[in-house]
Amino acid sequence: MSPLDLARALAVLLTLGGCTEDRGARHAPAASATGSAPGATGMPQDTAVPFQAPTTAVDRPRPRGSPGVLRQVSAEAHRGYDRVVFEFSGDSIPGYHVEYADRPARECGSGQVVRVSSPGRMLVRFDPAQAHDESGNPTAVERARALTLPAVKQLTLICDFEGQVEWVLGLAAPSRYRVLEMTGPPRLAVDVATP
Amino acid sequence: MSERPGTRASVVAVAAVLAGSLATCRQPPVEPKPCPQPGAAPFAAGRRAAVLPDSEPSPFDSAFAAAGREFGVPAPLLKAIGWVETRWHMVEGAEEFPGRAPAFGVMALRGGELERGATLAGVTVEAARHEPAANIGAAAALLSAYAAEAGIDRSRVEAWAGVAARFSGIELAEGRAAYGRQVQRALMAARAVAAVSECPEPAPGGAPDYASAVWRPSPNFDTRPADSTGAIHAVIIHTCETNYASCWSWLVNPVSRVSAHYAVSEDGAEISQLVGEPNRAWHIAALYECGLNRRHDCRLNGVQSNHFTVGVEHAGFASQDSFPDTQIDASAALVCDITRDRAIPRDWQHILGHGQLQPANRTDPGPNWPWVPYLHRIQSHCGEVVVDDDAAFNDPQAAAVAAPAGWLVSDSTPDYYGPGYRWAPTRPDAADSVVFSFRVDQPGPRTVDARWTGGPNRSPRAVYVVIDAAGNTLATVQADQTVGGGAWHTLGTWVFPAGWSRVVLLRRDTQGFVVIADAVRARKT
Repeated sequence: MSPLDLARALAVLLTLGGCTEDRGARHAPAASATGSAPGATGMPQDTAVPFQAPTTAVDRPRPRGSPGVLRQVSAEAHRGYDRVVFEFSGDSIPGYHVEYADRPARECGSGQVVRVSSPGRMLVRFDPAQAHDESGNPTAVERARALTLPAVKQLTLICDFEGQVEWVLGLAAPSRYRVLEMTGPPRLAVDVATP
Repeated sequence: MSERPGTRASVVAVAAVLAGSLATCRQPPVEPKPCPQPGAAPFAAGRRAAVLPDSEPSPFDSAFAAAGREFGVPAPLLKAIGWVETRWHMVEGAEEFPGRAPAFGVMALRGGELERGATLAGVTVEAARHEPAANIGAAAALLSAYAAEAGIDRSRVEAWAGVAARFSGIELAEGRAAYGRQVQRALMAARAVAAVSECPEPAPGGAPDYASAVWRPSPNFDTRPADSTGAIHAVIIHTCETNYASCWSWLVNPVSRVSAHYAVSEDGAEISQLVGEPNRAWHIAALYECGLNRRHDCRLNGVQSNHFTVGVEHAGFASQDSFPDTQIDASAALVCDITRDRAIPRDWQHILGHGQLQPANRTDPGPNWPWVPYLHRIQSHCGEVVVDDDAAFNDPQAAAVAAPAGWLVSDSTPDYYGPGYRWAPTRPDAADSVVFSFRVDQPGPRTVDARWTGGPNRSPRAVYVVIDAAGNTLATVQADQTVGGGAWHTLGTWVFPAGWSRVVLLRRDTQGFVVIADAVRARKT
């Protein structure tokens, strides 16, 4: 089972079960990753993908093509990290770029600074991508959310313009993080270590 | 009238629609965003609607309003459908085609739909056929039922497009879309009238600054700063990364929080204006950095670039191999108009790509935007020819330069035209002049301007000789190049014959100065 498949299996589990309330019970560390049932092996494959230092940026450009349409953004707490999942329509996720911001985040049209009250500011940008349809209507994505997860406190869409979608994540601290690609449906998960 | 389920919601819905109209009072809305239609192609962005329905009150306004309140359907939608169906006439249809039931009343209800609507509205079929209020009520009840089945958000007038399409009874997708467009146009007119009547003194700027643009006002703008950072100073060229209709319809959606002053269609046949030029559109996030713009205007470093720019979107993609000539030409005509009205220089520091000022995450309009011919086209629309000291920046059909080797290339002093300028020290015996030539198609007067970069070591009496195509010396003009760098300075106005005329810049003078050869411009006056 490839890491991608495992990640996908995990995502299915998370989607089905949810874990905000009782994540300890659902995601107790399992002894092995060999079980066939997705639910039995939530954690181990996750630990196979290491968290990286906050100073590292992740950049995965994709060839230009039709934009990925952002359908949904979810955030959940897991043992040791919070996971933010960006879900797209179509067959694959667009190119992406993830990094901590060293300057205030700005709305990409107005240039207005977006208030982030927590100490960590992470930017997640997709290209080519949009969070609206061809008729100019936004997709059902909630564009600004305040959260009470251990690591992730805020999700704000700061750009949906000229084929780019960008979010700022307000984090309790500029923690270590990792980025996972998932399929069926295509998703990008950003895991931020719990401080 | 009895209270029905949904009545409360309907009041809220209509209030929301009205609030939407009121919110746009500072600029009378003329053409809001198109109604989306689930599953259908986006409404084609047609040219400005050739025929808009009569904006006078209809004979049935009170019935539209009452039915709207009663059944939770926007009254402007009822009015718009009534216009599209019957032009607000009570009709008593005949069976036009076998199997197609005749239409009745303002709302052209037919057959089973008429019966269902009548039942839902609590009126008799006979009344629904022949009495306006009952007919409109039956239609409203039917629309309300469709809306409930579709689960739409009634507070959003756009959400009703699919319901209206179903109401049309048209099976063919294209036909439904066309019907939707008609309703949309009628709705636009109705809302425009409503908004104007609610805004007794509409602010100026409710019409496009560019006369041939379609005015589709976006709520996504604010005011420019009152100080010098808000002075309109540059034009930013963008690509939408999508098609024209999708582009402007997103930019007018308040959810998007983005806009531009203009959007140019793929073929240039239509231009939308979304924000008035005096206002601050939301098209560029970058703070200005003069290092990205030939070190021009470093006083603006750190200023939010929307403050002082006009944004022009173009349908298409930064990754395109080329851009249609018709689009480039339409855009050039527009930018000529903007720069003329706002006194923006038509040069490389003032007509810029989004990606140039925001290289961290933007590339538009992309590597294949035809910058050099584009600028020439803008200048041509404005009746001017510029001759740069660098041949690569000239339109070979209209401009040519001959610069001897003794004139050295530099870009160390900013605010030059093109990629830099040439300079040479004065010498009493120098015979190597820079010759700027321009072609005149139609004989007539032209004003000739020269440009240099300033500095204390410049010649206070640089000599320009103006010679027409017949070889006649029209004038010898001295210019003080120690001051006024980076701007055009008029040498004079003369009548030129057709053909290539020239302006010769000498460096023959007592030693101790440098002469700057940057550019010459000839413009119609």
